[in-house]
Amino acid sequence: MIKIEDIHKSYGLADNCNKVLKGISLTIKNGDFLVILGASGSGKSTLLHVMSGLEYPDQGKILYDGTDIAALNDAERTKFRKEKIAFIFQQYYLLPHLNVENNVKMGADLAKNQNYITAIEAVGLSEKRFRYPHELSGGEQQRVAIARALAKKPDVLFLDEPTGALDETTGRQVLDYISKLQKELNFTIIMVTHNANIADMAQSVIHMNSGTIVKLWQNDTKKTAYEIGW
Amino acid sequence: MEMERKSTQTTEYPKKESKTGKRTKPPLSPQNKNSKGKKQMIAGKILSIRDISRLFCIVVISFCAVFVCTLFLNYNTDLKSIGIQVMQSDVQNFYNAQVMTGKIVSILSGGCLLSTSAVMLCFYIGHYVDTHAKMLGILKAMGYPNLKIAKGFAGFGLCVFVGTAAGYAMAHSIMPLFYRTQNADGLLPEISIHFHPALSACLILLPTLAFCLLSVLYGYFRLKTPVLDLLKGEASKKIKIPKDKKSRNNIKKLRTIKNTAGLPFLQEQKKSILRQKKSLVFFIGFASFCYASMMQMSFGMEELASRMMALMIFLIGFTLSFVMLFLATTSTVKSNWKTLALMRAFGYSDKECSNSILSGYRLPAYVGFAIGTVYQYTLLKIAVTVIFAEIENVPEFHFDIPAFLITLVSFAALYQLILYIYARKIKQMSIREVMMGEE
Ligand SMILES: Nc1ncnc2c1ncn2[C@@H]1O[C@H](COP(=O)(O)OP(=O)(O)O)[C@@H](O)[C@H]1O
Ligand SMILES: [Mg+2]
Repeated sequence: MIKIEDIHKSYGLADNCNKVLKGISLTIKNGDFLVILGASGSGKSTLLHVMSGLEYPDQGKILYDGTDIAALNDAERTKFRKEKIAFIFQQYYLLPHLNVENNVKMGADLAKNQNYITAIEAVGLSEKRFRYPHELSGGEQQRVAIARALAKKPDVLFLDEPTGALDETTGRQVLDYISKLQKELNFTIIMVTHNANIADMAQSVIHMNSGTIVKLWQNDTKKTAYEIGW
Repeated sequence: MEMERKSTQTTEYPKKESKTGKRTKPPLSPQNKNSKGKKQMIAGKILSIRDISRLFCIVVISFCAVFVCTLFLNYNTDLKSIGIQVMQSDVQNFYNAQVMTGKIVSILSGGCLLSTSAVMLCFYIGHYVDTHAKMLGILKAMGYPNLKIAKGFAGFGLCVFVGTAAGYAMAHSIMPLFYRTQNADGLLPEISIHFHPALSACLILLPTLAFCLLSVLYGYFRLKTPVLDLLKGEASKKIKIPKDKKSRNNIKKLRTIKNTAGLPFLQEQKKSILRQKKSLVFFIGFASFCYASMMQMSFGMEELASRMMALMIFLIGFTLSFVMLFLATTSTVKSNWKTLALMRAFGYSDKECSNSILSGYRLPAYVGFAIGTVYQYTLLKIAVTVIFAEIENVPEFHFDIPAFLITLVSFAALYQLILYIYARKIKQMSIREVMMGEE
């Protein structure tokens, strides 16, 4: 369980201090599918980075099963990230000089997962595992990023606009892979998006506006990636 | 920032074309109308102050080269003028030895340093073309011939002038001291300092011209890349993968037959880093070559020549190799900064990150070191047998084991220090900022 208590975060000093997160509190159950909605600049990415231990909050607690990661030092946080979480970004961020297999290995090695081929198969890319990122389409690259993240066997998967750079068809396909794999592996998903339709796939949804949660709701029925609007 | 620069440039190109080119294109924006398209236009636009400031190291190295050469060559020329006076005397040998050492030192350090700066210059131009690929691609797409664009690169070479001129001036300012130490025992008659215009032309103008030419030629060579490859930007171009399908298929076959898992990620990463930039491998090897040869030589020099010479070679060798090592590693780390950020985000430790990027260079570094050691030994051995052949009481020249050990240990420490510095830097990076940077 992830419990977030009164997170504050600002950038800049004194005069032109930009308060990005203004007291966010939230509880996320294990295996939840949480979508964070909000306009551009509302602080979604910042919240994601703070929750995942990439950034320190100015104030507040981030408790993973009781451990406050905001209080950990750098080495401990690195260890925490290594053991617990994985990321998928809008820009894929594959390593350009390595082929699909080695990109996936980057995640797999951290979890000492010898069976990374399964992860590549799971996203339907075993035929293309010796290709390099620039030889793949955007959707395929994002699927590699999914394989890489899941080969790491994370407890929590953080996604920042994973379909932001994709067209509708490939976007749906990518989301479908993610939700199917979640059912299979049962990790927690925390996904940032500004596409409100995607929220229909989620179990819990929060809506952010200028650094605060303005709305929070649960969906009774989850739609699949092909049932939602776009 | 980068984006801003590029966009202002693209809007300004038409000015030049409308003035000099036959095909006039309508200016893209109104402020282009009253511009003066001049030849330097491209040069001025292609090279920003920041790019030139990056050439600082080249300036420093060319400074050192000209500094040393001026001292020794000026001294040698003045020494020759008193040559007649010493012909008969028994200081002949001493005289000969000084002339020879002067020549060797200036050829060696001058040549070594200048070739280093030439390598660095090419490296910088290559880097420049890579990072400004889009903008250069647009220029090419608009129809500028390669040579015209490459001419703008002469500015890179011109900056060498600053170094050579300063080195020359500096050498002249400490020349009295140098003349005194060279003739400290008073064996030779008083040598007065003369100014040799031919020498100054050779040492200041010649390198500058040569470097300008080199810049233009190398730039021209690099610009031969097809326009589309340039326009696609550095990312797509820099990826070096096994080109022919055959070898890739072979890997595939091998792997499927054996069904081995291949190397772990960190090893693969190390390998791909080395593959990415072969010039850096050479560069780092060369830096360690310089370190090994110059440091050990300075120990030998103290015995064979003067302490001053030893100190000079020591300082030059150290600065040179340190600067080169540091530049090469900085460039590697910088060009992989995103990869590092991602690895950090996924939970690789700072040490794992810096090792995966930099420890692959260890082998080339030590190979360079070994070659440098052999090289300096051979050189000094020859020098001793040739120069001091007629002089009696010259100590037999042996391989200096303590000097070797000191050099080796200090080199290993230096390398480790660089790894450590980058591990620290990587630790302090803001992963978020790196990740957000591109959007
Ligand atoms: N490093 C930073 N320095 C200053 N301001 C920042 C920094 N990073 C983000 N911000 C600001 O924080 C606000 C929220 O950013 P972000 O979390 O990326 O929003 P979102 O992901 O919802 O679009 C923006 O107004 C942005 O300008
Ligand atoms: Mg965002």
